[in-house]
Amino acid sequence: MTSNQAYDVEKIRADFPILGREVYGKSLVFLDSAASAQKPRQVISAMVEMMENDYANVHRGAHFLSQVATEKFESAREKVAQFINADKDEIIFTRGGTEAMNLVASCFGAAHLQAGDQVVTSVMEHHANIVPWQMLAETKGIEVLFVPVDARGVLDMAVFEGLLGPKVKMVSLAHVSNVLGTVNPVEEIISLAHSKDIPVMLDGCQGITHGKVDVKALDVDFYVFSGHKLYGPSGIGVLYGKKDLMNTLPPHQGGGDMIETVTLEGTTFKESPHRFEAGTPAIVEAVGLGAAIDYVSSVGMDAISVHEKLLLEQAMAKLSALEGIELIGTAPNKVSVLAFNVTGIHPLDVATVLDRQGIAVRVGQHCAEPLIKAMGYEATIRASFGMYNTLEEVDKLVTGVEKAKMMFGA
Amino acid sequence: MSLELYQEYVEALEMLDDDLRFEYIIDLGKAAPETPFPEDFMRDENLMHGCMSRVWIIHRVEDGKHNFSGESDAVIVKGLVSMMTKSFSGLTADELAGITLDHVRKLNLGALTTQRQVGMMAMLKHMQKLAAV
Repeated sequence: MTSNQAYDVEKIRADFPILGREVYGKSLVFLDSAASAQKPRQVISAMVEMMENDYANVHRGAHFLSQVATEKFESAREKVAQFINADKDEIIFTRGGTEAMNLVASCFGAAHLQAGDQVVTSVMEHHANIVPWQMLAETKGIEVLFVPVDARGVLDMAVFEGLLGPKVKMVSLAHVSNVLGTVNPVEEIISLAHSKDIPVMLDGCQGITHGKVDVKALDVDFYVFSGHKLYGPSGIGVLYGKKDLMNTLPPHQGGGDMIETVTLEGTTFKESPHRFEAGTPAIVEAVGLGAAIDYVSSVGMDAISVHEKLLLEQAMAKLSALEGIELIGTAPNKVSVLAFNVTGIHPLDVATVLDRQGIAVRVGQHCAEPLIKAMGYEATIRASFGMYNTLEEVDKLVTGVEKAKMMFGA
Repeated sequence: MSLELYQEYVEALEMLDDDLRFEYIIDLGKAAPETPFPEDFMRDENLMHGCMSRVWIIHRVEDGKHNFSGESDAVIVKGLVSMMTKSFSGLTADELAGITLDHVRKLNLGALTTQRQVGMMAMLKHMQKLAAV
């Protein structure tokens, strides 16, 4: 703990109003941040302030409020860019991570993929990084290849390298697994793919929340994340795309704000990012995301990461000490996303007992059905720890699991 | 329409607080399997699609009366599906069609977890669908 003595988790918790509430008469223990994180007062206030004082449509209108709203919206884009070390015009706002991945699959597919081309992804992906490619396989006749994972939940890099043949036109992988917490060796992945001129998209929905991301240092071509997992609002996501590459892609949707000129004969489109932001964007949500980035940056992504590692280590150690606990995902490089099961008890039964103690965990297949099956399960429990969780909450989780074992006699 | 068993459940649950209701459902779920051949029961064609646990419901018609039995791999859900199938067996298709969300609400399990109540509604709809075929 010496490296993180300044981390004041109680001060952080005080910024999150919802953490003060009770569930079934018990203090809420929120261990489901990997599904969606709670929001600090700073985010909520920024959004309220935007709606109460500064709201109008952006990029249109000569009036005062439209200028103010546009400045705030574009300043949020600037904050996102600085946060991941990108240029401002490489940041495209979407409705979420899923829309961002679909945008790339659909637009990159239209511009650069033909029947017989291959896209490499993996067994550990969220459905949002599988289904869009399968849809392209249906419509365009491309082929989707899957890198397997080993029993620890680590990508098989030898197979990955072997798959990178001449037909592969895109590699699209998770930065961090949403079930196992595995941090993939993204530098190596990108360098191997680039050595064969294959672009790489990283699904950073989990990666962005647990440590610093530098898209320039990574040299990644597309990086995707959602606002709501980064302590910001839902309804806003980010697609980072290298500018030269983005300008080779056709628009995703047509409408207002993405065009240069429209005549009845045809239309010319703006450059990225505006080309990909048809219609009125999620203005208030973008401002909320900017506030969330200010918030996590003020605490420090490195400090958050150290704190979460401590929670993960304690949770893994204390759960393993109980009899009949199966930890699912034991990669050496892992963030604070912890899937586990209790031998002989259905995960839903465990999760329901935890819920009655006020402890929120996720149960099921976590939108990653192929991975859960590959790891040999039908469903798992997943506890995920965020910047506001405490060691006491880890203990409550362990006590809750013991109670479930007692109630179900395993 | 005979809803005797259903009424018994409603009355039993009315007398309990939330924690005891929770234990009551678990006890129902832990009770003996409903069929001597659970592996025969748990076939894909009897499966209701859900994400968090699996539920199987078997349906038979005798003298125009619809009878159901249910299974689940999660004990709590097995308790709920057992209560639902027992409550609403022995009804005609018309009578079954008259069972609504209010009947489910009266079991007072909403406070237990709202998601389970949604699951019970899905079970009811599934049973009504099976009876309509």
